[in-house]
Amino acid sequence: MKTKLLGKSLLSLLLICGGAAHADGACRDASGTQGEVRAVVAAATDLAKVLSAAENATLQRPLDRASAIRWSNLPIALVPRNGLRIGDLDTTKSAAARKLAEAALSACGLKLFDEVRLADDALIPLDTRKIGWGGGNYYFTILGKPSESTPWMLQIGGHHLAYNFTFNAAREGATPLFFGTEPIRFSTSGVEHEPLAAQSSAMSNLARVLAAHAPAKLSGTFTDVVKGVVFEMMPTPKGGTDTGFPQTYPSGTADRGILYSALPPAEQALVRAALESYASLPGDAITHTLVAAYEAPEALAQTYVGYSGAVDLSEKGSYVRIDGPRIWMEFVVQPAVAIPTDLHYHALWRDKQSDYGGQFRQ
Amino acid sequence: MRRAALTLALMTTAALAFAHSAPNSLVKLTFQAHSVRAEIMVPESELAFATAAEHAAQPFPAYLLRHLAVETPAGAPWKVEVLGVRSTTYFDHPYLLADVVLTPPAGASATHFVFVDDAVTHEVRNHVVMVLARGKESAELLGALQYPARRLTVERP
Repeated sequence: MKTKLLGKSLLSLLLICGGAAHADGACRDASGTQGEVRAVVAAATDLAKVLSAAENATLQRPLDRASAIRWSNLPIALVPRNGLRIGDLDTTKSAAARKLAEAALSACGLKLFDEVRLADDALIPLDTRKIGWGGGNYYFTILGKPSESTPWMLQIGGHHLAYNFTFNAAREGATPLFFGTEPIRFSTSGVEHEPLAAQSSAMSNLARVLAAHAPAKLSGTFTDVVKGVVFEMMPTPKGGTDTGFPQTYPSGTADRGILYSALPPAEQALVRAALESYASLPGDAITHTLVAAYEAPEALAQTYVGYSGAVDLSEKGSYVRIDGPRIWMEFVVQPAVAIPTDLHYHALWRDKQSDYGGQFRQ
Repeated sequence: MRRAALTLALMTTAALAFAHSAPNSLVKLTFQAHSVRAEIMVPESELAFATAAEHAAQPFPAYLLRHLAVETPAGAPWKVEVLGVRSTTYFDHPYLLADVVLTPPAGASATHFVFVDDAVTHEVRNHVVMVLARGKESAELLGALQYPARRLTVERP
C-alpha cells in the first residue's frame, strides 16, 4: 500500500536546510572523507556556535553509559529522547545541524535520515494517537566534548532511526545502528520514497538464494529484531532503551543458519552486498575498518547467514540475519502500527565487540 | 490490596497508546518466608505463536506448567502451582496474568534457586522474559531470558 501524503513540516524543514535527498544511490563521495573526525568535530563546533547556552546544554551531555544507551525503536511519547529536537530549530540552526549530519553520514545515510523522517510525517494524519509521530521529533545529541583525540559520541535519532557514532574510542564506533520505516513506500509531492529500499533489496536477494539451502532456515518465529531494545523493562521509564547492552549472542553451530563458506561465490557476493548496504550508511571513515574486518577471509569463514519467512519480505515475520565473529545484522518485517493491516520494517546493526566504540561493556 | 494497586497501575499505563508490536513477558517475584509468589504476565499475541507451534491446544495454566520450573541449585525440583489466571492489559496489549506459588522442597532455601522458563521464548526468537523482584516501592530486575537461555540463578539476601 502506498501512502500518498505530504509531510509538510518535514518537507519544509528539508527545503529550509537545502537537504533534498540524494537519489543516485551512490553512498560515498569521491574523497572518501565522510565521517572523518576532523570534519565532524568542525561541524559540531559550528553548530554549538549558533545555539544558545540553553540549547547547547540540551545538545551536550556527559559521555556515560546511561546517555549512550538512550536510543530506541519506539516513538518519543513512549521513550523520550535526549538532545536537541530538530523540530525546534530555526533556519540557521537547522542548517548547522544538517552540516553535522552531512559530515558524519554517507550520501545514503543522509538520504535515510531524510526519508525515515518523511515516513514519520506521513503517519501523523493516519494515526492521531499522541505517541509522537513526526519528522520533527528526531534529535541530535553529543556525549562528551567533540575532539579529534579523546572519546565522544554523536547520536542522531528518533522513532525509526538511531545513529550512534563513537569517535576516538578504543574500538570502531559505528554501532549500534537501528533503522526502520513505516510506511514502507510512500510519496510526497509526487516523489516516491522507499527509505529502506537498498537494505530490503539486499536482504531479500540474500534470502532468495538461502532458500535453496536447508541449513539456512532459522527455527522459530520473529516478531521483531532479536537484539533490539526491550520496552517492558521495569520500572519505567528505563524501558525501551538499550538496557540489555552488552548483549549475549548465539554461539556454536546450531540454528545460526549456513556458513558463508558453504555458499557458492555468486551467493557469497550477496552476503557482502547485504552487509555493505548497512555499513554504507555512516561515513566511510567511520566504517571502512569494520567492513574490512567483516570481509576478512577468516571472519567470513566463521560468518553465518540465515532467514525465516517469506524470502521476498512480503509477509510479517520475514527475517534475515548475518551473524559473524563481530557482525550482527538483522532485518525483520512487522505488522505496521499506524495501519495494522500494512507492514513495516525494522533493521539493526550491532558489532559484538565495538558497540559504543567498545566502551561501557561492564 | 497489592493486586488492586497493580491493576490500577496497569490501567494507568494502558492510557498511553501503544506503538510496539512485539511485547515481552514479565515475571514479578515476591519473596516470602517459605515460598515465592510469582506474577507472570505473558502477552497474548506472542503466546499465540508459541502455542500454535506446539500443535496442542491446552489451557494457559497447563501450557505454563510445561514451560516453567524452579530448582534448587543442586537440581531438586520445587513445587509449582498456578493459583489463578486472568486477563489484563499492559500498554494496550492484552496479556494473560498467572498467579503462581513456588515452594521449595523441605529444607531448601526459598531465596536461592534456579528459575527455569521458556514460555514463548521456545518459539519467538526475539521474545524476552524479564524477571523482577517486587519491592515496596519499585521492582528490581534480576535478569532476562531470551532463546536459547532458559535458566536464571536467583539469590536474594
